[in-house]
Amino acid sequence: MSERAGSLAMDEETDDMELDEDSQKDKFLTFRIGAEVYGMDIRHVTEIIGIQKITRIPDMPDYVVGVINLRGTVVPIINVRRRFGLPLKDYDTRTCIIVVNFNDTSVGLIVDEISEVVTITEDCMEPPPRVNRGPNSRFIQGLGKVNDEARIILDTHKILYDDESARSGGAETQ
Amino acid sequence: MSENDDNIEIIRDFVQESRDALENLEQAVIELGRNPGDTKSLNVIFRLFHSMKGTAGFLGFKNISSVTHAAESLLDMIRSGQMELIFPDHINLLIQAADFAKDALTELENTLDDKALSVKAEWLSSILHEALAKKPTAQVAGPKEAEPPIIAQKESPHTKPEEAMPPQKRIVADPLLGPEMLERFAQESDELLQKFEQDMLGWIKAPTDMDVVSEAFRNIHSFKGNCGFFGFEDLERLSHHMESLLNIIRSGGPVDHSSSAEALLSLKDTLRNSVADVSRGGGGRVNALEESLKLLKEISQGAKPAPGGALGGGRLGEILVAEGVVTKNDLSRALEAQSKPLGELLVDMGMASPDAVSKALIQQTKEKSSEEGKPKQGLIKRQDIRVDLEKLDSLITLIGELVIAENMMVNNPDLAGLSLENFNKAAKQTSKIVRELQELAMLVRMVPVSGLFRRMIRLVHDLSTKCGKKADLVLSGEETEVDKTIIEILTDPLVHMIRNSIDHGIENPHERALNGKPETGSVRLSASHEEGEVWIVVEDDGKGLNKGKILAKASKLGLIGEDVSELSDKEAFSLIFLPGFSTAEQVSDVSGRGVGMDVVKQNLDKINCKIDVFSRPGQGLKFTMRIPLTLAIIDGMLIRVGGSRYILPIMSIKESFCPKPSAITVSTDGQELVRVREEFIPVVRLHELHKITPDNENLAEGILIVLDTQSGALALFVDEILGQQQTVIKSLSKYISDVGRVRGVSGCTILGDGEVCLILDVGGIVEATHNQADMWAGAGAR
Repeated sequence: MSERAGSLAMDEETDDMELDEDSQKDKFLTFRIGAEVYGMDIRHVTEIIGIQKITRIPDMPDYVVGVINLRGTVVPIINVRRRFGLPLKDYDTRTCIIVVNFNDTSVGLIVDEISEVVTITEDCMEPPPRVNRGPNSRFIQGLGKVNDEARIILDTHKILYDDESARSGGAETQ
Repeated sequence: MSENDDNIEIIRDFVQESRDALENLEQAVIELGRNPGDTKSLNVIFRLFHSMKGTAGFLGFKNISSVTHAAESLLDMIRSGQMELIFPDHINLLIQAADFAKDALTELENTLDDKALSVKAEWLSSILHEALAKKPTAQVAGPKEAEPPIIAQKESPHTKPEEAMPPQKRIVADPLLGPEMLERFAQESDELLQKFEQDMLGWIKAPTDMDVVSEAFRNIHSFKGNCGFFGFEDLERLSHHMESLLNIIRSGGPVDHSSSAEALLSLKDTLRNSVADVSRGGGGRVNALEESLKLLKEISQGAKPAPGGALGGGRLGEILVAEGVVTKNDLSRALEAQSKPLGELLVDMGMASPDAVSKALIQQTKEKSSEEGKPKQGLIKRQDIRVDLEKLDSLITLIGELVIAENMMVNNPDLAGLSLENFNKAAKQTSKIVRELQELAMLVRMVPVSGLFRRMIRLVHDLSTKCGKKADLVLSGEETEVDKTIIEILTDPLVHMIRNSIDHGIENPHERALNGKPETGSVRLSASHEEGEVWIVVEDDGKGLNKGKILAKASKLGLIGEDVSELSDKEAFSLIFLPGFSTAEQVSDVSGRGVGMDVVKQNLDKINCKIDVFSRPGQGLKFTMRIPLTLAIIDGMLIRVGGSRYILPIMSIKESFCPKPSAITVSTDGQELVRVREEFIPVVRLHELHKITPDNENLAEGILIVLDTQSGALALFVDEILGQQQTVIKSLSKYISDVGRVRGVSGCTILGDGEVCLILDVGGIVEATHNQADMWAGAGAR
């Protein structure tokens, strides 16, 4: 499966090389967590790798499970299941880490299985349902129609940063 | 101006060199402002403008050359006494000319031409010419579009002699001649003098060879020219007389061959010493100049003075003769019979008493040391090379990768359990080399803070005039070196802090006098290395921070809610770093908008710098910035607690041991203590701090590592010590610090097996566990 993930990434690359950057605009990477399939904007995705040894970091929110060594760079890892408050599942051969990058900061997201890359144009995208679906609704960016099915599109940035007690900035004064 | 590659290169070089020269120019002008009679500064300024004019003219930059030409003419008039230096007008003009030059350089850098500056150039040239025509421009107004900096025409604090100022620790080197120019002078002089020496040696072998004498003449002549240009009078005079002597020889005058050759050679050494002195930042004085000149004169008149006679560094025999202890004849006889040290011989022959000889010996060593001082060879040869910063960065990153790769190779799991004697030897050797490489790489990026500090001199000068205050900048520790990026990031914060000091901190002279303070306030800027950090301190002797005002303002802005009286001084002072905070009543041009300190804080956060604020009302304010030295590779001890591994910096480890159950006690506060020899040391359970499951919780079954911290010793409880290794420090991703705060951890590294491992921060551990006072109160250690 990680091969498939790798080849997906490659496909995406070749596509990009033919078209310009804007073509990434309506493309979404879909993946499965539990029984549900979600999607995220592919613009921030830099790579997809198989699961590897994670070093635990203390004093982190529970969904930040640790860091990995990605070719010499230390990348923090979020377990999306934990983020959604779902029970944990053991890692298997299909488990992948989606590495996203915001403002030069890379973070990895553990998902159960990578699905495919789909195109959802703006007219096929609807805003998130107003009916409150629980604490995870804040992560939802919208609902995209793919082949007559509705896919939940996640707001990657919110998954990383949105938190009731979020802190911004680093060191404190002494 | 045709823009072919050569020209671009020349223009770039011109910009670089002029930039360096301009830094010194500003200082020189300010110096001149302080001491209008300072001819040295005057000459330096003159020369700087002169050379800029020259190159600008050569490259066809009419605007730059017209302004620099006008400035140069003005300076020429002043230094030749045809015009008096009018303060502050002329100083202002010169500063404006310097600023113009700076703008011009930037313009050149961007557009490779100076056409855009024609309006400003015209205006500046015209007021310079007015000044030349002895029409002092009382009003230094700017042209309609441009806005040149104006130094207020207030009652000048500088024309009157200052009251005694505290001894200032300024830049050691002559601050007016840039080190680059001195370097070049030193290098050229060295070459010329070497050639001269060859010529002299050649002439000694072939006394009739006049060609070689002409060569020598030319070399000494060029050397003299350089000395004159740089203002080294002693050197100029000496070389001038040497040159005259050579001229006489050349034209066949009755000059004794051997004494003149000898004298010239030995004088060449004298010259060389002085040049070395110059390259070290000295003034290029020549010891015993008059004697040397006299000697040269005698020789040129045909005399044959005794070898080495008055040339300083006197040999023992000469000194004894000079003291009248022995006669010249006795001396020669002794020298001929010389197989023992001269002094002994003379004593043996009964010609001198042992006392006299020892006295003379002492004098000889004294003369020798003052004459030679430091080693002459090699010092002049210091050469620089400009390096592209990117290349340097790549180099350093690569070296970091090399350390990790080397680790992975040497600690490779494939090798576990094998007995590899030869391999281990080779591996150790490789590790050693890699380590040296890495240390060198760190040093390469270090730059002294002097450049940064010196820029502040001008700032203080401008600000104090603008704000109507008197303030002096005192610098110390300028040779302290810091990574280059840090210097860049520090510039803005320093400027802000100094601005605040002068605008708000330092009171006006009247108020200061009323408070019994010297009228001139002082801003002290210092840098030093302290235990793995660089400390930069900005201190003023103004009125300090007003805690009450700060608290009032903070609560007005809604920044603090609770009981205000509970905030300590430290906490109250740290409020000033909040955005929008300022207790200045009026917003002045310079500061008061409340955007200064929080920008300072932001910049400092970028380089992980901590800042301490200390203030006494009425006495002053002190900011201490503590910058961690990014020693990216440290010696680390790999330890294990449960399933997690950590690296402890070896620097902090005092010792480690397995404690006996009897050595462990619990204080009344519940703090575990272990007895080590005579001390009781508090125990910290890392597994509790980081919530790990340890192998066991019994202290006696694990290992205690005694760590040295700023507040005292502590004993860290771990399960196992795995070994020692070089550790490349990598920072934890920014995301980690955005999302939480990891206590007791300063960074991470990648181990030999590819896993990430956290590096423990001893100070952080102390902070994270108990209140420091509590931890040691029970131990009674403090």
